[in-house]
Parts: sequence; C-alpha cells; structure tokens
Amino acid sequence: MKAIAKCKNFFKTLSEKLKALPKKLSARFAGAKEILSQGNGKVTASMAVMGLGQLLYRQWAKGAMFLFVQIAFVTYFILTGATDLFGFFTLGTREGNAWYGVEGDNSVVMLIMGILAIFMIVLYIAIYIANVKDAYRIQCAVDTLKEPAAFREEAGALLDKSFHKTALALPVIGVCVFSILPIVFMILIAFTNYGDTIVPPALVSWVGLENFRKILTLGQFAPTFFKIFGWNMLWAVMSTALNYLAGLGLALLLNKACVKGKAIWRAFPILAYAIPGFITLLGFKFMFSYGGPINYYIQQGGGEAVGFLGLDAKWSARFIGLGVNAWISIPSTMLLATGILSNVNTDLYEAARVDGASAWKQFIKITLPYVLFATTPVLITQFIGNFNNFGIFYFLRDGLNIDGYFLASDTDLLINWLYRMSIDNNYYSIGAAISLVIFIITSVISLAVYVLSPSYKQEETFR
Amino acid sequence: MNQAKMKVAKAKTQKVLNILITYCILVVVAFVFFFPCMWLVLASFSKSGSIYSFDGFFPAEYGFDAFRTLFTDTVMYDYPKWFLNTLFIASMSCIIGTVLTILTAYCMSRFRFKSRKAMMKTTLVLGMFPSFMGTIAVYLMMTQFNLINQHWGLILIYSAQAPMGYMVQKGFFDTIPYSIDEAARIDGASNFTVFVKFILPLSKPILVYTALTAFTWPWSDFILPKMLLIDKNLYTVAVGLMSLGETEFARFAAGSIFIAIPIIVLYFCLVKYMINGMAAGAVKE
Amino acid sequence: MKKTLPAIIAHAAVILALILLMGFLGVIAAGVAAEGSEKFTGELERNVTLRILENDTAKEQGYLKELLEAFNKEYAGYGIVAVDANMDQYTDLEMGGPYGYGPDVLYQANDALMKYVDGTRKHILPVPVEKLDCYAHVDDNAWDAYKVTIDTQEFVCGVPVNIQQPLLYYRKDLLPENWETEWDDDRNGVPDMIENWCDLYRYSQLIRQQSAGSKYGYMKSLNDGYFASGYFFSYGGYVFGGEDGKDTTDVGFSKNDGYLGGKIIRQLASVMNLECTEDTITKNSYSRMAQGAYFATMTTPDVYTMFLKEMVLAGYTEEYAKENLVMTSVPKLPVSGDLEDESQGFREMTVMGGVNGYAISSYTKAPNAALAFVNFATSYNMINRRAELLGISPARGDLAETLGGLNATINENLADGTIYVMPSVRALAQVWTPLQTYCAVLADDALTGKNAYVTDDALKKGIANVDSQIYAAIHTLGGA
Repeated sequence: MKAIAKCKNFFKTLSEKLKALPKKLSARFAGAKEILSQGNGKVTASMAVMGLGQLLYRQWAKGAMFLFVQIAFVTYFILTGATDLFGFFTLGTREGNAWYGVEGDNSVVMLIMGILAIFMIVLYIAIYIANVKDAYRIQCAVDTLKEPAAFREEAGALLDKSFHKTALALPVIGVCVFSILPIVFMILIAFTNYGDTIVPPALVSWVGLENFRKILTLGQFAPTFFKIFGWNMLWAVMSTALNYLAGLGLALLLNKACVKGKAIWRAFPILAYAIPGFITLLGFKFMFSYGGPINYYIQQGGGEAVGFLGLDAKWSARFIGLGVNAWISIPSTMLLATGILSNVNTDLYEAARVDGASAWKQFIKITLPYVLFATTPVLITQFIGNFNNFGIFYFLRDGLNIDGYFLASDTDLLINWLYRMSIDNNYYSIGAAISLVIFIITSVISLAVYVLSPSYKQEETFR
Repeated sequence: MNQAKMKVAKAKTQKVLNILITYCILVVVAFVFFFPCMWLVLASFSKSGSIYSFDGFFPAEYGFDAFRTLFTDTVMYDYPKWFLNTLFIASMSCIIGTVLTILTAYCMSRFRFKSRKAMMKTTLVLGMFPSFMGTIAVYLMMTQFNLINQHWGLILIYSAQAPMGYMVQKGFFDTIPYSIDEAARIDGASNFTVFVKFILPLSKPILVYTALTAFTWPWSDFILPKMLLIDKNLYTVAVGLMSLGETEFARFAAGSIFIAIPIIVLYFCLVKYMINGMAAGAVKE
Repeated sequence: MKKTLPAIIAHAAVILALILLMGFLGVIAAGVAAEGSEKFTGELERNVTLRILENDTAKEQGYLKELLEAFNKEYAGYGIVAVDANMDQYTDLEMGGPYGYGPDVLYQANDALMKYVDGTRKHILPVPVEKLDCYAHVDDNAWDAYKVTIDTQEFVCGVPVNIQQPLLYYRKDLLPENWETEWDDDRNGVPDMIENWCDLYRYSQLIRQQSAGSKYGYMKSLNDGYFASGYFFSYGGYVFGGEDGKDTTDVGFSKNDGYLGGKIIRQLASVMNLECTEDTITKNSYSRMAQGAYFATMTTPDVYTMFLKEMVLAGYTEEYAKENLVMTSVPKLPVSGDLEDESQGFREMTVMGGVNGYAISSYTKAPNAALAFVNFATSYNMINRRAELLGISPARGDLAETLGGLNATINENLADGTIYVMPSVRALAQVWTPLQTYCAVLADDALTGKNAYVTDDALKKGIANVDSQIYAAIHTLGGA
C-alpha cells in the first residue's frame, strides 16, 4: 500500500514538474533575451569572435584565453574535426584491402571519433555561451560604474565560490571520455550492422531499428529472457541484501566494546579482500569440483561425490555463487560500514541509554536509519554491480547449455548470456541492442528507487 | 536484597553469555575468511606444484620450489617485473583516482549547482550499462591516442573512471555536519581552505577507504591490462598469472600471495584511521 | 537585438561553413581510390625487424632462440633481424594488427589463423607457397587446412609446420604381467588394450575391480569436445557439411551413425568416476598417471614433457619414466558401436586434429623478409630441430618418413582422413558448449544411474538436439 502511495506521489511530483517546465524554460531564455537586446558593441564583438569584447574592455588575460580557445577549436575543425563529424554519418566510404596495401576507412574508429567531434562541438558551444555571458557581465559592471572583476580576483574565485567548477573539471572530462563516450558508442552500435562478418575493413552502416526487430521476432528468445531475468533479479536482491547485512553486522560486532584486539579480528576479512577476485573464484571452483578437496573428504568418509556445480546443481550452484560473492564483497562492505559507524553521533546513544532503550531498539532507531541514509546510494550501486556481476558464474560454472534455456545455463545472469551470444561470434550490434533493452529496464527501476529514497529526497536530514 | 543480588548475577551471566556468543561468531567468521587463504598459502608450499597431488586441502609434500621459480625462472614468466609494473600502475592510479573521487564527492555533497541532480542521476544510471561491451570503444580510443602497450594508458583509464564511484564518499561527506563549514567560513576561510584544512582531516576513514579501493582495483584487474598490454614485459601480475600453465598451481598460489601482501600491509598501516574515526572530535550540536 | 543577433548568426555560419567545407573535402579525398599492389615482389626489404610470435613451448625449450639466431646469422647481410614478439601465444591479430601492434609472423593453430581470413577479414597475407622449399614435401591435406576461396579464386594463407592429433598415453609398467598370453589375441606383440577400445574398456573394468575402485584404467574428461568429437566422427558424424567442411548451415554430429559416438562415451564413463563430467581429469591426469592411479589417457603430443616431469617428481628416474610412459596412436573402435561387442571387427578411429603453422600478418612492413623467415623456419633442418626439441609431428612428409614411427603414422592419418582437421571457420567457437554439455550429460547419465540415454532412439535424439543447438547458436542472431 505504502509503495503504491509512494508511486502516486512520484507521478504527482513528476506531472507538477512537467507543468512547471515551460515557465522554467522561458525564465532561462529571458537571460538570453536580455543579453541579445541589451548587449553593446563590445559584447557583439565577443559574439563574433570569442574574447574580442573582453580584449576591448582591456581584460587582456581573459580575452586572450577565450581567443586562444577560438583558435584552437577552428584548428581542430580544420585538421580532423570536420572530417570526423562527416565520418559519423557516412561511417566510411572506401573499403580497404590489406592484401594489396589499400588503405580504407575504419568505420568503428570513425564512429568513435565522430562522437568525440560532437562532444567537442557541444563543449565549444558551452564555452561560446560562457564567453558571451562574461562579456555581458563586464558590460553591466562598467555600466553601473563598478570596476569589473580583475583577472586575479576571478581566478581566486575558482578556489572559493566556484571551487566546485575547478574541482569537477577534470573528473567530468575523464568520465565523459572514458565512461560516457564508450556507452554512447555502444548505444549507437545498436543501430548499426557492426558484427559477424561486417567488421573493419568491411564498412559498417546505419540500419535503424533493424536489430530490435530481429530480437522481437526471435521466437526462442522471450522464454529464456524472462527466466534469466527473473533469476537475475532474485540474485541481485539476495546477494545485495546478504552482503549488506552481513557486512554491517560484522562491523557492528567488531564495534562492540567487549571485543578485544579489533584490528586482528578485522584482519581476517581483509585477507579475503586482499586476494584478487579471479584467483578466489578459480580457487572456489576447484574446491567444489568433483576432484576437489570437499569431495575428497566426502569420499574418504565413505560418501558419494556431490556435484556442487554439476549439471543438475541448479540451486546448489546458485547458493555457492551467493556464498562466494559474499565472501568476496563482505569485507569491503564491512570496511565501509566501519567508517560510517565511526561517524554516528554518540550523544544519541547516551540519550537513548538514559531513556532505558534496549540495544536492539538503539540499533533499529538510531544505527539503522543513520547507516541506511548514508549508504542508500551505495546500496544501489551494489545492486547494480551484482545485477551485472559477470565474473561469478563465468568462472564458477561456464560452458553449459541447460534444457529449457536457449544457449544458456540456469545459473547464467543476463550479462553472461549476452556475452555468450554476442562475443563468441562478435555479434556486436545485436549484443548492443539487447544490452540497451536490459539497460533501460534496470535503470528505470533503480532510478525510481533512488529518487524515492530518503537520502535523495532529504539530503540535509542528518546535518 | 536477595532479589537484587539475583538480578546482578543474572545481568552478569547475560554479559558473559553475550561475550561468549560474540567471540564464537567472531571465531567462525575468522575461520571462514581465513581458511581459503590459508589453503592458498599451503598450496604455494606444495612441492610438486600440481594441485592434484594434494590430500584434500593439504599438499602431499612441502617445499619452497614455487617461490624459488617465481623469482628466478623469469624467461617465460617474469614475475618480479610484472610485480613492479603492477605496483607502478596501481600506485599512480590510486593517487590520481583518489584525488579525483574525493573532489567529486565533496563537490556533490557541499555545492548546490544547476546540473547537480542531473549529474547524480546520470552517473547512477551509467553504471548499469553492461561494461564489457564498452571495452571495445575504450580499446579503439586507446589505439587512436597511441596509448596501447603503455602503462600510462591504463593509469589514465583507471583514474578517469574512478570518480564514477563517488557515491560512497558523498554519503560520508553528507554526514559531516554543515556547522563545521559555516564556522570556518565565518572565520573568512575560502571553500578551498575549508576543504583542505577542515574537511580533509575529518575524512581520514573515507580517504583510506577510497585509496584502498582505488589501489586494489588496478592491482587485481585483469580485463583492461589483458586488452591494452601486448608486450609480455609490460604485463601486470593478474594477466601474467592467468597465462601460467595449468600444472603450475603452486606457482600461481605463490604469485597470488605476493599480490595479497601489499594490501594487507596497507591495511595494517592504515587501520588506526579506519577504526578510531573522528566523530568524537567533530562539532556536536 | 538588432545589432547582436547578426553577430551570433555570422559566427555560427562561419563555423558551420568551415565544417561543411572541410568535411566535404575529406569525403572527396576519400573517394580517390588508392592503388594497391602485390606485396610479394621477391625483393627483400633491408634493415628491418621482424617480430615473430611463437608458442610457449618453443620458447621454453629454447627452440625459438636457436631459430632466431640461425636466421639472423643467415640474413645479417640484408640487415634483417628477427626478434621474439614477446606476446601471448594466443594473441588475436585482429585486435592489434590493424593498428600496428601485431607480430609480423605468427605461429598458431589452423583454426586460429584462418579465422583471420573469414568473410571480409584479410588480416594475414596469401602466401606464394610454390616459392617455398617445403611446398612439395607437405601433404595436400595439410595445405587444405590453409586454403580459402575468395571470389572463386583460391588462396593459401598459411604454411603447415606440424600436425596435432590426440594420442593415447599409457604406463607400460602398469600392463598386466601376463599380457603377452592373455591380452594379445592376434599375437602381434602389441597389447590389445592399446590396440582397440573394447579391450581397453575391459581392462579398465578389471583394474577397477582388482583395486576395489581406487585405481582406474582409461581416464579422460569426457566433456572435452576436442577429444570427444572423435567418437562421433568415427561413425559418420561431422562438424559442418559442404565440400570444404565450412557450410555452417549443415551441422552434422548426428549424421549417419554419429549417435553411436554417444554410446561409446556412456560406456567409457562407466569405468571412470564423476570427475569425467568436468575438466578435472584433464588437469589431474599428469600427477595421477605418475602416481599410477590411471593406466592411460588421451591428449596431444605437445604435453609429453609435463607427464615426464610429474613422474620424476613422483620418485621415478628419468630413464624409467621415458621407458614406461608411452605415446601411441589412438585405439580402434568396434564397428558395432558397442564396446562389449567385437563381433563385427574394428575400424580406425577418426580424431579431431589440427595443423599448426606460420602465417604472415597483412600489416607487416616487410612481407618479403617475413616470407624469407617462413621459408627458413620451415626448412628441413629447422623443422628437424623443432621435432627433436619439442616432440612435434612434422607436416613435412620427407622428414616424417626419416623420423619414422609415430610421425609417419600421423602423416598417413592426415592423408587418409582419419584426422579430421578442425574446420577453419569462426563459427567453430559455437560448437563447444552444446557438445560439451551433451557429453557431460551422457557421462553423468551412466554414472549416476539416471539411464535416460540407454536406447538408440534417446541417443539419436540427444545428438540431434546438439546439432540444432549449434545451428541456433550460429544462425539465430546472424541470420539475416
């Protein structure tokens, strides 16, 4: 019931926001209108050539910087930018032949460089607007007979008022190039015919929604998709809950006053943390195999060997996966929880103790809300991480086709299935289309959870 | 009188029981985490090298051969070199990555600017994309930037992608009371000074956590170096170990132990920051 | 408004015009077709460095070093230097090659090499093989593994070095003492259990009985598709149809009497344990053979040294190990398809094999020097040395004949088709999982007593299902 109410609430705020949108937009454009109508000759100069207005106002350093940006961009467009941008649309026109040394176009590289060119153009527009706004700001200052801010002052603001701009510049650029660009690339690949025999030097072309049509018309596809999706959701929820609760529990346990030698006790999980994941996974796979040590002892004790990860081992393999994943992830959750617990306001506990609240009550009323608040985003990231946890079942139980599944096993997650289908035969475009579908489903779910979570709504609560 | 005594006694037994249970759980937990690691250590001391000459968890014969070959037999598997490569890549990525992540998290926690919420949602959603498909793009980009077969190429990617995981750190900064900032700003400190002089000293636990994750990721990552490093002399330990033959389990185990050691050492060096915390010292209302 | 807007429009127009102009210029420039030319001019490039990718064993045993030294000495006059590429032996040329990071010459298996020339891919060069010294000495079947037809024209893209085929490894000292009287029906001085699978099966049963289940006869991970596929081939199954075995629309493990392969696998499983359903036995056979827990196994010739090493570790002298660890060609299969029925006689077992060889990267700057290297490395003397150091079976017929023994047999096997050469197509990657699962299911079926695959009908259905799964894996997503 509560959930439904929450959803209703969500949509209500959404519709309100939508209604407010035109107003907001017009408010935005009001600023632009003002500059357009009030801007003087020097601002116009900045509009024609970046930095010119600033130079005319004798703001040498800033003007020179804007001018430099202008020159740099024009050079970039002449050298590669324009060709890259065209390449984005054509994806290459000339097929190479390495046998006779004929150089051709590499469609995929052209696509990437094309995306980069578009990024650059967006960046250019942003700097251009900043340049015009800046010129107008100087105009206003001069008009009101104030001394326009000196360059040194403005540079100083970068460490104070606009500290966030300085601090975020590098991370944003890095994330754009190495995280966002690859994803944009993948999304675009879903609309091409890249893959199978069409890989460079063959020329790739845009095919619109063809890949999605193919997926929808595949009869075998849907049943397996829903089976795997169901298990994938279950897995993500269970493993996230398990890792989170166990990590938190461990941190609380180690926080108890009666525990002596905390550093030593804490070191054991750290051992697990210190060993790279793939080594752990290979080790556990061996441990549970027919020839592994556990079966050795079972057989020594006169029992029959057990196929923990074998053909029929649907649930035992799933539980082993959960356990192994927990073994790998609990230590880092514990570290995190320890850090956060050390930040809880101890006064609250004292007050609670004075009021005679039990330890359990203290946990429920103080610790849990606090920790939950601080870690909701982490919880979501962990959920996503587990949802897309490729390694666990790839290492533990790869290479099986189970009846009733289309080219998959009953422990495979969507990402394993996707990998099997797309990588072995390099069906990049179809793989990208499927991941786009999965991506849309999962992101809608987690975004909704996030937006509805208290830590997003009331960021200021615990201040 | 008697009743009171009984109550005290009951409370005492309860306390003892509490301690007993706590320690029981701790012992079990310690065993669960310790045992597989110990197994790995034992395996590295196996004489024959093959995991199949074990009696259950224990090697049939012990010896130091694995460690000797690990460091002396470098024709095919140059472990010492790989180790140094990994150390270099991980340290550099750790330093740059930590700085970028902390800065991002701090800004997201303390500043209210136009695109903030949009940025937060975007980063959240982006993490959901199945990453292995994006690696193709990363590889192609690196060929264009001429950064294949170079350690700096890896460092660039690790550091650049690190801020994507700023959520944990932001959550931490959110819990540091605003009053600290306000007090400092009244004294005329700039935002930069507030960050460096007041917030950072309070953030040691999260700094340590960030540094540790920023270090362990490149330290044990397999996929990126496998793709970007072609020359065997440039390999990282993870890639190198995976290329070991299947009968060389002892060497594999010995190699793994040496990967684990720096992280354990780091932990023990930094443990006091993580445990003592600083909540007590912070401004309380 | 009047003054300012034109400035913005002018700015945008100039930038836009610039982009359009440069962009169109770029497109026009790309339209000018570049002229290509034949790469093998016969003229050796001077002062170049060749990066050679060899396999790990060649490096470990010191063969690569010898080869490079000999070559560099010979071609010092031209300034040609060959060096170790120092890359992973399975490096994918398609990844690095086009961007200049690949080796110049690579030594890999035929299926790995030929996937570089699939469809429009042309990552390795067609080699003018008639110019090579080894041309006449290598059997046509070996050359076939490297042939590719593009627009009705046939090219050869690799040079065979050695033939890989599964062999039977067994411990001579574990034969029964009375084998000459009891286990040699045809009195040819060769124990029957290494001549045919029926007796190997019987002997395995006997060993298990006598040791009360602690020792085994023949042991092998049955889920290994590379080795298991041979049982299906022997009764008429195949991977892909078509004249060149590359028609992926025709998947044929179940064709003819292919299902009988499944029957053999079930029977073999019954003398093993559940470890045969996963890769455990493949991995532990080295030490278990040395301990005497297994009598025989099947694997490729290149791992002989690993078995030797384990035997020495187990306390035998090297001479004893060499004397008693024997490699031989695989036993014969019963015509009946039933290991308990020898009445219809025996037939040769067809095994999946491969031809390893050299190829020249299309991105090399010195194709002629690379060709000279390949010619040098496939010369009689170098291959002879290779065989000596690495124990490979050379593809050169002249050498195989001189070396004699198993080498000659393997060469004959290739010629008469008892080696089924791995089809050189990319789609081969999709074969393994379905096949592997089915073989594991069969072994599990026999060992756990589920007995779902006892009848011929069930076996036929099972293998037909494998075929359709492989077909689906290849064509569902790719099919237009």
